[in-house]
Amino acid sequence: MNTTLVMGPVLFNWTPEDWRDFHFRMADEADVDVVCVGEVVCSKRAPFFEPYMADVIERLLAADKQVILSTLALIMNKREMKSVRDTAAIDEDNIIVEANDVSAVALLGGRPHAVGPFVNVYNEGTLAYLARNGARSVCLPVELGMDALGALAKDSPAELEVMVFGRLPLAISARCYHARAHGLHKDGCQYVCIEDADGMEVETLDGEPFLAINGVQTLSHAYTDLSAAVPDLLDLGIRRLRLSPHASVDMVAVSETYRAVIDGKTAPDEASERLSALAGDATFCNGYINNQTGYTFS
Amino acid sequence: MFPTHGKTPPLSPVLLAGLLARPLSPRLLQPALDAIFAILNRSHPGLFERLSCLNETVFLIDPIDLPLVFILDADPEHPRLTAAREDADRAVATIRGPLLTLIDLLEGRIDGDAMFFSRTLSIEGDTEAVVALRNAVDDAGIDVKRDLLDFLGPFAMPARHAFGLGERLYSRLNDDLEFLKDCALAPQSRIPKAPEA
Amino acid sequence: MTALELVCPAGTPAALKAAVSSGADAVYLGFRDATNARNFPGLNFSRDELQQGIDHAHDNGCKIFLAINTFPTAGDSTAWHQAVDDGASLGVDAVILADIGMLDYASRKHPDLRRHLSVQASASNPEAIRFYQDAFDVKRVVLPRVLSVAEIAALNKEIDVETEVFVFGGLCVMAEGRCALSSYATGQSPNTNGVCSPACAVRYDEDENGRMVSKLGDFTINAFEADEAAGYPTLCKGRFVANGEASYLFEDPVSLNAASILPDLAKAGVTGLKIEGRQRGKAYIAKVVTSFRRAVDSMDDGAVVETDLTEITEGQRKTAGAYQKTWR
Repeated sequence: MNTTLVMGPVLFNWTPEDWRDFHFRMADEADVDVVCVGEVVCSKRAPFFEPYMADVIERLLAADKQVILSTLALIMNKREMKSVRDTAAIDEDNIIVEANDVSAVALLGGRPHAVGPFVNVYNEGTLAYLARNGARSVCLPVELGMDALGALAKDSPAELEVMVFGRLPLAISARCYHARAHGLHKDGCQYVCIEDADGMEVETLDGEPFLAINGVQTLSHAYTDLSAAVPDLLDLGIRRLRLSPHASVDMVAVSETYRAVIDGKTAPDEASERLSALAGDATFCNGYINNQTGYTFS
Repeated sequence: MFPTHGKTPPLSPVLLAGLLARPLSPRLLQPALDAIFAILNRSHPGLFERLSCLNETVFLIDPIDLPLVFILDADPEHPRLTAAREDADRAVATIRGPLLTLIDLLEGRIDGDAMFFSRTLSIEGDTEAVVALRNAVDDAGIDVKRDLLDFLGPFAMPARHAFGLGERLYSRLNDDLEFLKDCALAPQSRIPKAPEA
Repeated sequence: MTALELVCPAGTPAALKAAVSSGADAVYLGFRDATNARNFPGLNFSRDELQQGIDHAHDNGCKIFLAINTFPTAGDSTAWHQAVDDGASLGVDAVILADIGMLDYASRKHPDLRRHLSVQASASNPEAIRFYQDAFDVKRVVLPRVLSVAEIAALNKEIDVETEVFVFGGLCVMAEGRCALSSYATGQSPNTNGVCSPACAVRYDEDENGRMVSKLGDFTINAFEADEAAGYPTLCKGRFVANGEASYLFEDPVSLNAASILPDLAKAGVTGLKIEGRQRGKAYIAKVVTSFRRAVDSMDDGAVVETDLTEITEGQRKTAGAYQKTWR
């Protein structure tokens, strides 16, 4: 059985042109099978890159990539609800919609769809229900360890997906912390999150790197790197691996590295070294998958 | 804020310990403590059952206004309260603060979170153990005065002999406890008292 | 407009009795294990204690809601299923559930057992709420603390299910049930272990300048000068540095107090008013419940009663939180 490499949705606020060019490059160069497109974090950003949406989808489809339209993780008002309804109504053979909130799970019920990592799927009961509802693939929450993944993968009624690279999305809020850090409110945020293409770095009072802020979202400061766990994940029958896009890391090279690990052409520790070189100053974590504290790396 | 004790009680340092502990060495205090603790256990069976989640159950209770410390072993099977002059090395956690605040805590008048919101109490060591202990005593409905008078009732004569305390002292202790109780309850006198468990 | 129902926390039988005698319409509580989101040491109810609690509450016209609001562990859902089964047989008035698999289990196994959707399910919009209603016949939804009063009013117009909102206590600044900050720093999270920023990972140290430093796992969450009120190091209430500046990045150490907007919440169509604090003592419960009982009762007479609960409020400060849109 083939292993599917998924490029997750861009979580950060990039300039519309950077956003478009990133997806064009994924279409043209990246060794991935699936590319997720769409705003997941903040509905206020979507109007800026929407003019490029059709071009991006066309380019990806032309390059034989499966396109997944990702939807918002937190829906609080009518405008956001409408955007999710509109996306969920798209019924094209070659496009799959990904639910990141239970509202989208409801709207997509009865037809094939994807479930993203922002829907809580912690156990077989929930997985079975969502599969009956039409979920073909389920990207699991980041805090699951190998034991839980193993239990879920056993006789799984849907394809399971695990995020293997990038800053971990840890929380989402009604409040915009980017705006708050700049003394602004969400409603008048001036889109300050565009200043931090990989998130605004957060340190403890004694200078230890800890988290990263992306508007209403909080991510880990460390990048997850599960390349060492790839052989075990494949053994469990988990055949979809998600890479989360970053601006300061060459995501084409990241996809090639993971592909090489999947194909057995690169040893996991060698892959870790390569990713470390690609990611510059970044630190890494893989605690969750080892049933350890999330930020740890071993 | 914690329940504040605006007035200084008439005897300073106040209370049983102020009255009892000063003239006594911890060793001499121990029989009384044992008796009180036995009564406490009898009045509140299963008091420490909620601590069965802990591996280590020895706490150091340090009333900063008294010249001694209490070592509480909250082992659900064999609980014991010991008075000592110095810190115990084997304590899983230390709770340090004014005696009045410690008694508030024991009687469930201040809660686990509030404990941390003020600097009146300081916690060292295993915070989880302290939280567990707080939850256990909060549920028990301990009433120091009632429990003590229970003790001083049936055991009054031998206890007083043992302490060398006369009637006057007994009555002052009673008054003091009453006063203490009034002080401690004052901030909440407008609300109905929680029923005893 | 139906009468507002005051839903109050209890972490121990003594707290339950305090809530009942202080005027709670319903008490919510959990079993002493990882099946509920306040899985703190020494807290919560054994089966026997729950039975006695139910009897006591029912004798006094008060309901009992059993919170089973964590997400069962993959491969080992037994404890969660058992909790629902036991709740049903002991006669609780409702179970509060968050997990889709658990709702599915409870609705199939105990169709007559009333189901409430926990705040941990983070159902913040009409489509999500309708899903839980249609699929699992949920009778009430505890709304996540992300919505403004205007959004709650708009939401209630679109749905046909009771809603319950938090009016007092600790404030999650993140969408509930969608936060893994705690497990990132400590290995334990609300969703999996029923704890946030667990006490077992908390340490208080004094630094060389006499400041008290609170740590969670290996991370410094805050530091307090000698005369500064200290806080429990809940991760999202800590001080951190971004762009070179130290601040309460996520939230100041404040508690929610929505007492002043109870009439607005009533107008917005809310049914239940929920007080947070199963981990807090009976003194807190008695005081807060009494205060809100008075506020709700006097609201029926058209008056707004100010609550004076400052002294038991975290950081001794209060906020109306997300109920005001400027909070965002």
